[in-house]
Formats: sequence, structure tokens, C-alpha cells
Amino acid sequence: MKENKPRANLNIKKKENKPRTNLNMKKVEPYIWLLPSILLMGVMILVPIFSVFQTSFSEISKSGVNKGFNGVSNYLWIFQNPTFWNTLWNTVVWTVVVVGISTILGIILGLVLNEKFHGRKIVRAIVVFPWATALIIQSVIWKYIINADYGALNALLLKLGLIDSYVNWTATPGQFFAWECFVGILVTIPFVTFCVLSGLQSIDTSLYEAADVDGATFWNRLFRITLPLLMPSLTVSTVLNIIYVFNSFPIIWTISKGDPADQTHTLVTYLYKLSFTSQKVGEAAAVSVVGFVILAACASIYMIITLRAEKEE
Amino acid sequence: MKKRMLALLLALSMVFALTACGGGGGGKTTLNVIISQYGNYTQEWWTQFEKDFEAANKNVDLNIEIVSWNDIYSVVSTRIQSKQQPDILNISGFADYVADDLLMKAEDYTSAEVKAKIIPSFWESNDIDGTVWALPILASCRLLFCNMDLLNAAGITEAPKTWDDVLTACQAIKDTHGDSVVPWGLDISTDEGQAAFSYYTWNMGGGFVDSSNNWALNSDANVKAVEYIKTLIDSGYCNSAPYTDTRYPLQDAFSAGTLAMMIGPMNMVSADSSVNYKYTDIPTSTDKSSAMGVCDQLMVFKNDAVKDQDARTKAISAFFDFFYDCERYSSYMVYEGFLPATTDASDNLSANAEKYIKGGTTDVTGDSEYFEFFCGLLPNCGFYPMGKAEWMDVRNGVIEVEQQVCQGSISARDALDNLQKSIAG
Repeated sequence: MKENKPRANLNIKKKENKPRTNLNMKKVEPYIWLLPSILLMGVMILVPIFSVFQTSFSEISKSGVNKGFNGVSNYLWIFQNPTFWNTLWNTVVWTVVVVGISTILGIILGLVLNEKFHGRKIVRAIVVFPWATALIIQSVIWKYIINADYGALNALLLKLGLIDSYVNWTATPGQFFAWECFVGILVTIPFVTFCVLSGLQSIDTSLYEAADVDGATFWNRLFRITLPLLMPSLTVSTVLNIIYVFNSFPIIWTISKGDPADQTHTLVTYLYKLSFTSQKVGEAAAVSVVGFVILAACASIYMIITLRAEKEE
Repeated sequence: MKKRMLALLLALSMVFALTACGGGGGGKTTLNVIISQYGNYTQEWWTQFEKDFEAANKNVDLNIEIVSWNDIYSVVSTRIQSKQQPDILNISGFADYVADDLLMKAEDYTSAEVKAKIIPSFWESNDIDGTVWALPILASCRLLFCNMDLLNAAGITEAPKTWDDVLTACQAIKDTHGDSVVPWGLDISTDEGQAAFSYYTWNMGGGFVDSSNNWALNSDANVKAVEYIKTLIDSGYCNSAPYTDTRYPLQDAFSAGTLAMMIGPMNMVSADSSVNYKYTDIPTSTDKSSAMGVCDQLMVFKNDAVKDQDARTKAISAFFDFFYDCERYSSYMVYEGFLPATTDASDNLSANAEKYIKGGTTDVTGDSEYFEFFCGLLPNCGFYPMGKAEWMDVRNGVIEVEQQVCQGSISARDALDNLQKSIAG
């Protein structure tokens, strides 16, 4: 009996060892697979972020020489500059107007395209066009369309007899900015539309059948079934759009370059001009950090709301 | 075993490759050169130059990189930040590099022969406090271009000579042609608004600096000039979006016959244009019209990491001797369509431009008469005060002034006073 005990223990140990090794491997394995992505993200995202923060606290000469730490001088410079505050306001207006209006129009278009009608596939393809074309190309085209001297808009309106002489559509900074918002909305609508369409197609049709049986009107169906069930799709599209539109560069840079007199900049075009035209790299980095902080705050709010919603579920 | 051998071979090849990267290659002096892209055929010309230079200078390994004007400032700035600045750089402006003590003095690498043939005003234009820091690579000249058919149809028989003549001609063109023709091309955009400032201020008795080379941005003449620009816009005489229209769409409009007059570079009219045009002096309210000259530079960066500084300096001198050789330099000017900055090439092209071929063609040659006319203008052209360290801030400042004043948000007097205060204190 005495001899048997160790043997029994040995057997038990042998049986326990193998599953433990497997278990450890199973725990470690995902991290090994994730490691390349983590390293890539570290190099491609964290290093540039660190570099921008570092640059924002440094004095960079016009030729690009780093003269060392200069405290918060770059931040003081941008905060004391009226152009920065105007730019910040423009950025808020640009983001809210473009995301807001394109979301409303995208929902309406999504609802229309979800209905069955003749030529639906062609219409859906047409809606994709602005999304599938490079932003820079669309911006250049719109710049030429609205040009008062040789643009297509004036020529068309004149031929239709709607105007007597050429109209200057971009006479003031406000008009310039309004056109830029219009182009921004136009290119953002397709993304929202297709997010809404995918959301609509995932809604169970039996819900609408039940609503019909209960005598629900169109508006009842829209506000009680469709929109609540579309919320997850809309939340994703809105958050992505906020980040994307906030950081959008080609439309404003192509159409106005932030002019006249720096009145139509958003943060991204402003920091580009500071860095590459005015050669104020440190100040541009400070503007970049401000933009990063604003977007990080927006993303954090989104994460908090999403996590809370998941917990409640 | 095979795998081990393969790994070993790979490791060895990497070691050899890295060793090769670190060396200068058999005692040769390496020169890294960045050249701005002036046209579609810049690369072609410099590739041939590189081959010819290396054939003539066996001890020099020349690496020429062509960079577009859109990127060149950010490329150079990034290289400087990572301490990988080129040995020789072709760019516009050098004062910022001088301020950071990055450049060699031109006297240190320019041979007496090259120095003797550079047009004196160009040599002096690269002077800061008595030291010349760069060499002129090429020049261009800006004048008034008029579509004579459009002017004649409006009853104007001669190109305007004064600023008042311009207003009269613009009104006549507007009355005659209506919306179909823009009377006057104006570019006060971020791209080149400083050029517009130069055209009007220089020819109204003002300018960037006074006779002592001190900033004089808020002079009465400058105030008058900016107000005149505003008058052109408010009267509806110029293109509708001068804040964003660069000179390129304006040049296209002129070449297409929908713009009657504009100030532009000598080669601005497209080759296939059928417009009956005339180029003449920029209108002026002073005794003598001042054309605008544009001159880009070649400069040499210090490189303390190089052990044999003498060999490096000799290689750089050889580069400039080779480049400014009359035949080679003349061919480059015709190839790119610019004006030479040396006396021998100016003389040569004024007589023999037909010997050289334009870039991208096999049989289109230069025109001696054209070179004779424009080379004759160059010594009297006005140039930007690029030698002053504040130039970049002034450049951006005057554009902002033009745009603010023309938008009506501030008076010309206040805007220029503010600029003068921020630049000169």
C-alpha cells in the first residue's frame, strides 16, 4: 500500500501537467497573435502622438531646427491669436452642420431606398458615386462649378433665364464656408444612407406586420419601431462621421485654403497652413494637440455611453 | 541544415548590405543635391547632368533628387530635423537657414570664374550683412500682358501705362464685353499674394523696405497701393475670387481669351493659344516702371560629419563650375524656359538661343529675340527682400493685409500699421 501512494500521486501530477500547459498556451496564444498589431499600432500611432506632444512644447525654427523645450509658449501663442478661436468655432460649425444635416438626409434617403420601386438598384448605385469618388476630385469640380467667372452654375442659371448676369457665389467668407459645408454634406450622405440601409434590413419585418395589425400609422412605425432599432447603426455612423468630418482636410483646402483672410479654416487646414506655409511647426503641433484632445473627449463620451448601454442590457 | 545555411547566408548578405550603405564607396566624395521641379522635364535634364558630371569627375558620387515645389519646404525641414540635410539645395529663400547657421558662405566654394560671371545684382541679392550665402540658379521676369483684340474692341488702342489708364481700360472692357470677359486678373491668394503687393507698391513708389533696407510696410505709397487693389475688386474689374484664384487659372483664362489683362511671368501664355497679346511694362504712377524679378537660389549646407572637408568643398566647387559652364547653363535655361543669372549665358542666349532645345521637344528651339528682351530687363527688376530673416512673416503678413482690407474688415492704413508693428516693433 505504501508503495502505491507515490505512484498514485505521480499519476495525478502527470495528468494535471498536460492540461495546465495547454491552458497557459491558450492564454498566451491570443497575445502572440495580437503582438504584431500592437507593435504596429505602437509605432504608427503612439510614436507620432508622442512626437506631436513633444513638438508642441518645443521651439522649432523656420528651417526646422529644434531649439529645445519652450514650455507652453506655443499654446500661449495660439490662444492669444484671434484666428485660432475663429478657426475653432468654424470647426464646431463645420462638424455639427455637416454631420447633423447629412445624418438627417441620410436617414430620409435610406428610408426611401429601402422601399421597393422600379430602378431602385440604379438609384442606389448613383447614391454611392459621391462616396466612391476621391474627395479632392469632387472638391476641385465644385470649386469650378461655383466660380463666378467661368463656373458651370452661373452659365446654367443664365441659360435657364434664372439670372440676368453672373452672380458671385463666394463674395464673402460666410458664402465660401457655406459652399464648403454643402460639399461636405453631399459627400457624407452616402455613408449615412448605407449605414441606415444596413440597419433597416436587419429589422424583423414581423414587427411592422404586428404594427399594421394594431393599426399603426407611418409615423407610429417610424418613431416607435424604425428609429429605435436604427439607433445602434446611427450611433456608429455618427461617431465615425464626427471623427472623419472633424479631421477632413481636402474640401476646405481645395476650395478656399482657409481664405479669405483665414476666415474659413478648420483646425486641420489651419495647422497645415501654420506648419507648411508659415513654417510655424511648434505652433501647428499645439493646434494639433488641441484637436486631439477634443476628439479624444468625444470618443471617450461615446465609449462611456456605449459601455453603460451594454451594462444595462 | 539547409535552413541553417540559408539563414546564415541571409545574415551575411544583410551585414554586407549594411556595410555598403555606410561607406562612401572607394574614397569617393558623395554629394547629395536637391533640385526644385520647375517643369515636367526637370528630372530629364538633371539625370543627364548627373551622368556627365560623374564622367568628368570620377572622384565624386553625385546624387540628385528632384522635389516638387509643393513638397520641397517640408522635405527640407524634415531632413534638417533628422540631420540629413542635403549638401546642395535649390530653393527660394535662404535667410532662415543662415539664421540657424546651417549654410556655408558662397565665397568658400565659388570659384573666381563663376563669381565673375554672375550678374552683380543677383550676387548682391543673396547678401546678408556683407556675406553672400547663395548663388542664383535662374530667374524670371513679370510684366503686363494685354489681349489686344479685346482692348481694341473696347476702343483702347494701347496697353495701359498708368494705374488710371488701367481703370479706364477695365471700365471700357466691362462696358463692351459684359460678363464674358474679365478685364483684370488679380491673385491675392495664399500662393502668391505677395507678388501682387510687389507689382502695385513698387509701381506706386512704395515697397517692402526703404532706401536703408529697413522694413517700410506702412508707407503712404503702400497704403495707396492696397487701397487701389480694393478699388479694382469693388468696381468689379477683376476676377470674382481673387482670394483663392492663383495665377494658374488666370493664365489659362488669358490664354483662352476670356481675361483681358494680367501681370504674369514671361512664359505664361500657353503655346497653343491663339490670343493676339502684347507684353509691356507694368503700369506705374512713378517715373519708371519696375518689373518684378523672381530668382531662386542654390545654397550649400555645412556637414561637420564629413571627415575630408577639403575634398567636399572641392567637389562642390566642381559642381558649380560644371553647372555654370556657358553652354550647359544656356541649354538648361532654354530647356526650362527661364532666364540666366550669368552674363555669358545672357549674351549667348541673346544671340544663339536657337542652338538649344526646349524641354519635352525635339525640334522647338529657344528664341534669341525673346532672351534679348527679357535679359535686358533683368538688371532693373525689383526682387523680394529674401535676405532679411523676417521675410517669411512679411510675405504672409502682406497677403493677410490684402485679404483683410479687400474684405472690408479693416482699413489699409490700420492693417499695414499693425503689420509694420509686428515685424519691426
